[in-house]
Amino acid sequence: MMKVQRSNVFSWLVIAAIICSFTLMAPAVGFSAGKPIVIGGSLPLTGAYAETGQWIEKGLRFWAEEINSKGGLLGRPVEFKIYDDQSDVGKAVTFAEKAITVDKVDLLFGGYPGTAARAVMPVAEKHRFVYVSMGGHMKSFEQGYTYSFGAPPLMGEWWYEGFFQWLATVPADKRPKRAAVYTINNPVGLSLMDSINRWTKKLNIEIVINEKYNAPLTDATALIVKAKQSKCDILFANGFFPDGVTTMKAAKALGYNPKAIVQGIGSVVPAWVKELGRDGDYVFSGTCLSGQLKYPGNDKLNAYIKKTYNLNEYPLYFGFGYSWMQTLEQAVAGAKVLDQTKIRDWLKTNKVNTIAGPMTFDKRGLPEPINFGTQIINGKVELISPKNIQTKEPVYPKPAWEK
Amino acid sequence: MDAVLIFQSLISGIMMGMVYALLGVGFSLTWGVMHVINISHGAFGLLGAYAAYSLLQYFGVDPVASAAMSVPVLFLMACGLYQLLIRPISRAKNVVMASMILTFGLAIILENIMALIWKADPRVLTPTYSSGALIVGPFYFQYPHLVGFGLSLVGITVLYLFLKKTYTGMAVRAAWQQPEAARLYGVNLFQISMITFALAVSTAGAGGICLALLNSFEPHSHNLWLIYLFLVVIVGGVGNVIGTALAGLIIGVITGLSMAFLPFQWVNLVTFGLLMVFLIFRPHGIFKQEGV
Repeated sequence: MMKVQRSNVFSWLVIAAIICSFTLMAPAVGFSAGKPIVIGGSLPLTGAYAETGQWIEKGLRFWAEEINSKGGLLGRPVEFKIYDDQSDVGKAVTFAEKAITVDKVDLLFGGYPGTAARAVMPVAEKHRFVYVSMGGHMKSFEQGYTYSFGAPPLMGEWWYEGFFQWLATVPADKRPKRAAVYTINNPVGLSLMDSINRWTKKLNIEIVINEKYNAPLTDATALIVKAKQSKCDILFANGFFPDGVTTMKAAKALGYNPKAIVQGIGSVVPAWVKELGRDGDYVFSGTCLSGQLKYPGNDKLNAYIKKTYNLNEYPLYFGFGYSWMQTLEQAVAGAKVLDQTKIRDWLKTNKVNTIAGPMTFDKRGLPEPINFGTQIINGKVELISPKNIQTKEPVYPKPAWEK
Repeated sequence: MDAVLIFQSLISGIMMGMVYALLGVGFSLTWGVMHVINISHGAFGLLGAYAAYSLLQYFGVDPVASAAMSVPVLFLMACGLYQLLIRPISRAKNVVMASMILTFGLAIILENIMALIWKADPRVLTPTYSSGALIVGPFYFQYPHLVGFGLSLVGITVLYLFLKKTYTGMAVRAAWQQPEAARLYGVNLFQISMITFALAVSTAGAGGICLALLNSFEPHSHNLWLIYLFLVVIVGGVGNVIGTALAGLIIGVITGLSMAFLPFQWVNLVTFGLLMVFLIFRPHGIFKQEGV
């Protein structure tokens, strides 16, 4: 009898242990059985913008890996459905439509470049889908869209804010007096003029030359000769990598060495320091994101990038992809549902914390202006402004060209 | 108007134009002799540029030496490609159209191969003299421009002499001017076409290296280069080596003067406006006479 009771007790214990283990496993079972949240859209994985597009994809996937390891979003795993738009804006629009109407994705992710993001924004608005991206400069955020957000946005209008804020701290007698401004004739280049016009007036810098050029800029000799002859002591080369390189090479060859050279988008591309070496040094520019920022998350991303790609700092567009998803993640978690309007409303009224810093959005979907002044010093993009994020004192005036 | 600015812009324009001429001369030959519009011509130029880039980065080989080395390598490669791809389409009803479609595909393949090997990052060819200049009075002759100009001049002269003075060269011209008569005289048209194609591709490689001395490049840069190829060939006349060289110089002068006298944003408008004018009034190019 005693034996029977003992075996019964043992059986109950086994059953209890099994029930307990199932209970403990429950969240994991529930997670793996949950229908994934599908996040769709397109990136330029081939074609002209492939390099950048691939880094954005890596940023998105790193975010997904991270959130899935933490139990997913709203308790569900996330997965991406990424189309390759081949760097074609038309295809980016088609794939955005397809993701929403055919694939019936739960969320959209931000695309690249600005022209593609600008073209997808009305699609997102039409279908009432939240679209967190870099946007396509100020005009794209002034179209009355209510579902688009820039987190952070890539704004030409803000691009030189950090540089000018630093320049304002330089004693007036040491500041440049005469500016040569050469701008690539496209929406990105022209958007850079906004801060130049505002700040040069404020700092009493005369714009002596203000010219636009159409891409491709195959030769910058005439540009540099004009700037040199006009005794311009600050050069704004408002363009991309190819025209930036052409301009820098001509400036050195023609012995033009102003107090400061400010370059648009090209100088923050990693290839700038790699390809130009010392000739690429001392160029000022700006950025809205950097692995050197002290906001939470940056160290973790840098460590991952170091381990996986042996780079000292995450590439800008890896950070962009990650930051857009961080924003969307907080909005979905805050709204607690996948209802797009509720997600949008949450974003309009709450603060998000990203690797680019904390942000709240205005009715255009824009945060407060974000820009950090940069300068290439010893082959590294250093943050020079504002003071609280400075990684190095800027070098000014520009030293003579190295022989 | 400042004389220094005018002269300086003119020098740069002319030197640049000559580089376009070297890049374009092979494009013109294949079009003229074989009726093949080789859309992948610029991609072969880019291949030369990438090869020179790697040789400089890893072995310290000067781009001038790379240009000399690239010629035989690309020549052999092009012979193989001719047999494999171009020769079969010579039987097509419309060789021009067939060649355009085929070489468009080839350009995409080459672009993707280059992106795989060298990645999509922009590259800059930076030999020690890449941002130096020879200073003569108030004028600066930038070394990369000088080297590119010199190499192009040599390349075009060698090609011209080859076509003018050698038996094979004369056969190429004969095949272009009177294909049936050339065949009757025992000229092997397939062999001549292969040589023409290989010559064109090898000059493209050298031209690509010259252009890479002046501008940065990426795997898709050949699309941009193709625009200038059409420009020099249409202005210079299809199949005309001297015409192409002259077209390069004319385009260089016009670009240089436009940069000196007009707002910069007008330069491309003026340059490509020239293309329109030529297409309307001189569709055969500068010279009325066809050929070398």
